[in-house]
Amino acid sequence: MASFLQLDSVEQNFTRADGTVLEALSTINLEISKGEFVSLVGHSGCGKSTLLNILAGLNQPSRGGVILEGRQVTEPGPERMVVFQNYSLLPWRSVRQNVALALREVKRELSASERAERTEAALAMVNLDKVAERMPGQLSGGMRQRVAIARALALEPKLLLLDEPFGALDALTRGHLQEQLMQLCQKAGITTVMVTHDVDEALLLSDRVVLLTNGPKAHIGRIVAVPFERPRCRKAVLQHPDYYKLRNELLEFLHDQRRLSNRKPAPPKPAAELQAAAASSPSPKPIRLGYLPGLDAAPLLVARQKQLFEKQGLRVELLRCQSWEEIDDLLRIERLDGAALSAAQPLTMATGAMASTPLPMVVTQTLSRNGNALVLGTQLSISSSEGLLLHLRQGLPLKLGVPDRLSMAELLLRHWLARQGVDPAQVSWQRRSPMGLLAALEGGLIDGFAAGKLRACLAQHRRSGRVVLTDSAIWPNHAEKVLALRESWVDAHSNQANSAAVGLTAAVLEAAAFCDQTSHRQELLQVLTEPQAFGPQLLAPLQEGLAESNLAKDLNQATSLLRFNRFFLGQASYPDPAEGLWVLTQLARWGMAPWPNHRQELLERVYGRRLFLEACDRLGMIDQEPTQRRYQLAEGEYFDLDEPLSYATNLPFSTLSPCLP
Amino acid sequence: MTNSLVRQIKPPLICTAAILLLWQLLCSGTHSDFPGPIQVISQTWNPYIAKPFYDDGGTAKGLGWQILISLQRVAVGYSLAAVVGISCGLALGLNRFIRRGFDPVIQVLRTVPPLAWLPISLLLFQQADAAAIFVIFITAIWPIVINTAMGIREIPQDYRNVARVLRLRKRSFLWDIVVPSTAPYVFTGLRIAIGLAWLAIVAAEMLKADGGIGFFIWDAYNAGGDSSTSQILLAILYVGVVGLLLDRLVAWVGDRVSGPQR
Repeated sequence: MASFLQLDSVEQNFTRADGTVLEALSTINLEISKGEFVSLVGHSGCGKSTLLNILAGLNQPSRGGVILEGRQVTEPGPERMVVFQNYSLLPWRSVRQNVALALREVKRELSASERAERTEAALAMVNLDKVAERMPGQLSGGMRQRVAIARALALEPKLLLLDEPFGALDALTRGHLQEQLMQLCQKAGITTVMVTHDVDEALLLSDRVVLLTNGPKAHIGRIVAVPFERPRCRKAVLQHPDYYKLRNELLEFLHDQRRLSNRKPAPPKPAAELQAAAASSPSPKPIRLGYLPGLDAAPLLVARQKQLFEKQGLRVELLRCQSWEEIDDLLRIERLDGAALSAAQPLTMATGAMASTPLPMVVTQTLSRNGNALVLGTQLSISSSEGLLLHLRQGLPLKLGVPDRLSMAELLLRHWLARQGVDPAQVSWQRRSPMGLLAALEGGLIDGFAAGKLRACLAQHRRSGRVVLTDSAIWPNHAEKVLALRESWVDAHSNQANSAAVGLTAAVLEAAAFCDQTSHRQELLQVLTEPQAFGPQLLAPLQEGLAESNLAKDLNQATSLLRFNRFFLGQASYPDPAEGLWVLTQLARWGMAPWPNHRQELLERVYGRRLFLEACDRLGMIDQEPTQRRYQLAEGEYFDLDEPLSYATNLPFSTLSPCLP
Repeated sequence: MTNSLVRQIKPPLICTAAILLLWQLLCSGTHSDFPGPIQVISQTWNPYIAKPFYDDGGTAKGLGWQILISLQRVAVGYSLAAVVGISCGLALGLNRFIRRGFDPVIQVLRTVPPLAWLPISLLLFQQADAAAIFVIFITAIWPIVINTAMGIREIPQDYRNVARVLRLRKRSFLWDIVVPSTAPYVFTGLRIAIGLAWLAIVAAEMLKADGGIGFFIWDAYNAGGDSSTSQILLAILYVGVVGLLLDRLVAWVGDRVSGPQR
């Protein structure tokens, strides 16, 4: 569905006098429907006026463009009429002449008498017909702005753009003019975009409020829908039960943005101390990363094999661990600087969910996408997902093994069960180390398990289980594993000229690109089955699993195996905070963690997008940020980023009650 | 007389009277040749003050005629300077290359005193009258050019944005935005220029001219008669008053044309 007005990946860079580049706006994507009133809210200097000028066509964006009714906007024009903050009335023409001038120049097809009629109508609309002969210099600020609005509306533009229209006025005049503007816009039904820093004004007038993060590289942080019915009146709006909740949400966002801007990195160690440290240990301390054997760790292993870490000037040691618990413990005592974690873990650790102490982590990139399967033991004689549902709907018990720290496999499975009308609480979830899942299955301790493809391949190979469901049926291309570093480590190493974190990310990114090329599959297999990696005993099952035919036969859908594990293609490596937001909704939904107050700040803190993009720059890779912003889980279900809390509350079997404030 | 008028006149009246008194006192000594105000008036009353428009043929004319002759030259030179100056100012204001290109030349030439141009202009034009007009032209043109150029560039961005959004036609842009917003700057230039032009003509005439008030002053000096100093002083007073009137005239016209600016 083509929208009326669209901002497509708009970016704006300015070159300062000294030659440095200021990236004011970064990747703005926005769709506005006809007749909608949208407010752009943000701190001063965040770029909202720049964005409005781009919408008007007064500035050209450095990248991306604006599309109005299917055509690109490159020049300003009267169908995108602007009301400026400084009114911009010609002081040497009377009020009437100002409006008449606009009509004369724009609506040339009308006769003189028609234009005169419209001028009078416009002035009457803003109740200024009595002072039509006066010069703008003789009017108050509020009256001048009304003239500017009359001039704009007289032209019947397709799009009305207002740049802090009431910013220069006192509060009483502002209130009065807001109501007038609201009535005028409601009557005319013009699509309007207004820039303001007044939260109450935004709530009174708009259908949606778009919140911009602070510059530089400002982007859309959040979009809040304003559900008050039209026609509105100020009193009714203020008395609406949701008014203060929305207001607080907006203010909280702005507050978070200010905190984020002010947050200082760890204080740099004095030069003497750094030199002393360097002198005592002639070679830099190696970076220690932990991982569990699985296909998702392939980029790390490939990076080690091909010496990509050394290429970035880093010494990295990979530590193969036995369980998530071990990795967790080692991170806490700082024996590990980072690890390949499940995509749900960094947030779980950062928030201290599931009764653990918080440990802030920074996600530098997504290591792999997809790659999970639900395997049921052959003794159960269930061979498909329908069979599974039947089994559960009959109330029969089921013991499923899941990794011992929260994994995406578990979250997706729970989500899927709930969607099918089965309460996940019915299932007995047994948390075990992923290495021990297969043994548990064969030992009859569990009826099945949800885990990565490697174990699924092994189970199939040994005929102890069969795959009944893969995550492609639940959320294709979800983030599975991420590379996360301890925040304390990142801060400690961020002041070096050649940031270690960026180098690390770059090395793994290069490895990921390698992994995703089909021509490299053989080499990949070789790397994975070396004794340092998983060992040669896994060669056969891996070969089976990576082959096109076997696994595909067992699945209900024709999912190409090439997409089964994705490491790099399709901007897969981007650490997307929106996916983290989904994890937060699931944590809240299942009662594993309370809904965070400052989720924006939390997500910005955990997802190190800037690190990732710097690493991309270093490798000369472009276009690694996904342009699509809607998250489609399977079966037409969308994850709506704008209303995560209500999304979480309204999901089936959610432990959140709807009247939570 | 109204109260406010009295209040306005009192200070200048008192101070002027004080200066005249001082002057009279300084010149009262019998050994002094320099006339005091009373002597000036008495010596020049007839014919200069009483009959400003007497004409005895040749260059022996009343002060009124002399001033008119000077003004005539100013009018020609100044009008030329205004036309050429405003046009050049427009070009400089609109085109960055031209502005940057000609800026050094303008900055150097505008500091040259008017009289330094006189020998060159005499060589060029041979005739004293034309030379004087040229001197006025070359003196008056610089402030007009510079201020007009500045005015064009100082059109507030807001109005330019409005013009872009409304897609104003060239004619409307010129008449509704450019002219009214540049007018004050242009008239500032014109006002400075008229002062300079009047200055230049008096000086030029003193060096080489037939008729005109500058000529009158120098002629009186050379004649060296009894009342020459008084004649010179009177002429100076007249020059000053005319200069003031010219300045006020241009200012008044400028106000009428510009209209409200904010």
